[in-house]
Amino acid sequence: MAKGVCSAAVQAEQLKQDGNLYFKKNRLGAAIDAYTEAITLCPDVPVYWTNRALCHRKRNDWTRVEEDCRKAVQLDHKSVKGHYMLGLALIERENYSEGIKSLERALDHGRGAHPNSYMVEEIWQELAKAKYQEWERHSTKRNWDLHKLQESCEMALKEHHVDGDVDVNEQLEALKLVFEKAAEADVPTEVPDYLCCKITLDIFRDPVITPSGLTYERAVILDHLEKVGKFDPITRESLVQSQLVPNMAIKEAVGAFLEKHGWAYKMD
Amino acid sequence: MTGSSVSSRKVLSKIATNRLQKELTEWQINPPSGFTHRVTDNLQRWVIEVNGAQGTIYANEKYQLQVDFPENYPMEAPQVIFLHPAPLHPHIYSNGHICLDILYDSWSPAMTVGSICISILSMLSSSPAKERPEDNDRYVKNCRNGRSPKETRWWFHDDKV
Repeated sequence: MAKGVCSAAVQAEQLKQDGNLYFKKNRLGAAIDAYTEAITLCPDVPVYWTNRALCHRKRNDWTRVEEDCRKAVQLDHKSVKGHYMLGLALIERENYSEGIKSLERALDHGRGAHPNSYMVEEIWQELAKAKYQEWERHSTKRNWDLHKLQESCEMALKEHHVDGDVDVNEQLEALKLVFEKAAEADVPTEVPDYLCCKITLDIFRDPVITPSGLTYERAVILDHLEKVGKFDPITRESLVQSQLVPNMAIKEAVGAFLEKHGWAYKMD
Repeated sequence: MTGSSVSSRKVLSKIATNRLQKELTEWQINPPSGFTHRVTDNLQRWVIEVNGAQGTIYANEKYQLQVDFPENYPMEAPQVIFLHPAPLHPHIYSNGHICLDILYDSWSPAMTVGSICISILSMLSSSPAKERPEDNDRYVKNCRNGRSPKETRWWFHDDKV
């Protein structure tokens, strides 16, 4: 019995290798068949499911992407690729809020494993895009509702100015200011400096703090330590990678800012 | 042609492009005083006009800086030179090369075009005399094949000037 299990695992692994090879050659049908066989032999290996999902993704077969990824994250709740492609599939069928949650999970697990990898960057790009689109939808609606409300208020003021002591024009002016104030958060401006990295000049994604008390974007400070030198870019005090600590306070502040000002998700 | 990474003109990386766009926006809102950026659509090469500060020996004089950004800016310093004619200064060679540590060994990615400009202006402003570096002729001759100043092994002069 034990021997049977073992050989099935070996066979499945071989089938996965075949699948990877077909995938590289863009023979998606053959790749899907190979992964399917591997799954039949060993249904509990999450990578077989995510690899097959990747083929479905290339074919824009999002229903199957979702099915395979759901299985993969059920088997391994830390599967970065599983959460990532599940998120893309959900967004594809316009389930934005769940899709964004999946992308966020993918980003969290991805950063834990390889903070500097291309996957993390790719997931971030997709997440930012989804968040920006979400903001666009909501802010358009909010603006429209406000605009309607303002019109009604203006009409009401003009109709009911029976009291001779009150200047209607002044009231209308004040009302305009109130509505401008209400729309403020949705007007794209500049992100405050203290939420931006001094190297990227961009809003923080994964901020880390140095012993000098300065905060940088993790990926670029790592790049700096590797390519420029082992020093803090601003204070020039000596600095090594092991001294970097996540800056949770800034991360939360960025989260709170983005929650209110979704336009700041706009890339380039 | 020189063999430097700057003049080989590789396209800017995504990080470099993003950051330069941010620097340009910031410059347009809040330019360092005494400097004017000559607007072009070339993000990789900036030409900046420098006005000598009032009360210094360069008052009322205008010079031009040329700033070329490498592909992996800001992890690598930009190449900064004066276009002809370069100001007469003990740290500025007649071919426009500038002996200033932050442009070479002491570069840090937290520096920006704006902060480089301010350093250069302060270097000009603190000069007591309009003269070329002692080794000007020898150095310029050595650079005749169009060598980038970033390839020079700089021996930084004192910090006083």
